[in-house]
Amino acid sequence: MNKKRRRKARVNSEAPDDQSAAEFSFSLTRVAVSQICLSVGYTSTDTSSTLNTLTLITTKFLQSIAELAASFSNSANRTEANLFDIVNGLQDTALSTSDCFPGGSTLHNTESHCLIKSAVLRNLSDFVASAFEIPFAKPLPRLETSGSHGGDSTRMARSPEMRSFPAWLPPFPDSSLYLEPYTKERSDHLWENSDSVIGRETFVETSGVRSSGRLPLRRASVRFKMGRDCSNGGGSCKSDTRLERRRDDNDGEYGREFEAKKKIGEEYIYCADIDAGEWNM
Amino acid sequence: MNHGQQSGEAKHEDDAALTEFLASLMDYTPTIPDDLVEHYLAKSGFQCPDVRLIRLVAVATQKFVADVASDALQHCKARPAPVVKDKKQQKDKRLVLTMEDLSKALREYGVNVKHPEYFADSPSTGMDPATREE
Repeated sequence: MNKKRRRKARVNSEAPDDQSAAEFSFSLTRVAVSQICLSVGYTSTDTSSTLNTLTLITTKFLQSIAELAASFSNSANRTEANLFDIVNGLQDTALSTSDCFPGGSTLHNTESHCLIKSAVLRNLSDFVASAFEIPFAKPLPRLETSGSHGGDSTRMARSPEMRSFPAWLPPFPDSSLYLEPYTKERSDHLWENSDSVIGRETFVETSGVRSSGRLPLRRASVRFKMGRDCSNGGGSCKSDTRLERRRDDNDGEYGREFEAKKKIGEEYIYCADIDAGEWNM
Repeated sequence: MNHGQQSGEAKHEDDAALTEFLASLMDYTPTIPDDLVEHYLAKSGFQCPDVRLIRLVAVATQKFVADVASDALQHCKARPAPVVKDKKQQKDKRLVLTMEDLSKALREYGVNVKHPEYFADSPSTGMDPATREE
């Protein structure tokens, strides 16, 4: 019984940690909505679903205004919204919620571009002047964010190289996830330096100039074979010896040797002789 | 000429009123915190560094919720109160936000919130046997 209680306690302690950002913001919005309902005159709700419904509608209202303002700003070839975009968004929201409102026709008047003539803005102005301030129940820890990161604490401050990217885009993943680390061992795995190259010669690099994978015009002949690595213990290397013998037989007949590909099981083995940089199959 | 001067003065007054309103937003603390509003705005692609505009949206949302709650309160008060014999209970009348009042208030704002009257096990539950066979 004690073990079961301990397991339950562990599960309960882990639940708050697993709350996502959406649930956290929803719970904060619910607190704000309940405060507004208290200021209006309500003392309680019949069920939690009522408060959750009103909170959900509040979040949808916020998002709808933001979407409208963002669309207005994007239509004007801007990424940052201004007061005009917000007021247009509020006008559209008011249009959808009520049949008509005064002052909407003068908003787009070319003679006077003043927004205060809009009834929506005037109502907000009266609301701010008359309504009592109701600060949030508990102070939220303010994060030191620069620019408009949306208050997202998971976003890191962008480096100088990344400043050309908008701040509202998510950050890039860690470079270790998509960049393979360059180590000294990697350079040994180049095919020129591998054991597959028979009779390889070291290529002298010119000072300060890397070959970058390109072969020089004048180079010695190199014979190499590509096949399954017998050192790992997988598969047999009998085919290698057969091909080697064939090459010896054809040495006298052909100046250049080439071997047709031979399918042995699952592998193809090519034997060729590179002469003056030419590759024949 | 005079008409132009009058329109210019009116425009100047309107601009002053707008500037004063935006300045008053910095003194007014909305119930919804700025960080929370920024989170929802950023979710929808809204980008603006001006705090006054963030607060304008917060005030607009607060006003919307207050209007809905006050309309629901009106519906609650308009409902005929049950007969109460005890005077103490009559004085301690608590106003409870119900889904019925909330749905009536939201209907005026174009939001349809309606709970189903009952939940059925299957679509044909409660239908006549004849129509069920069809």
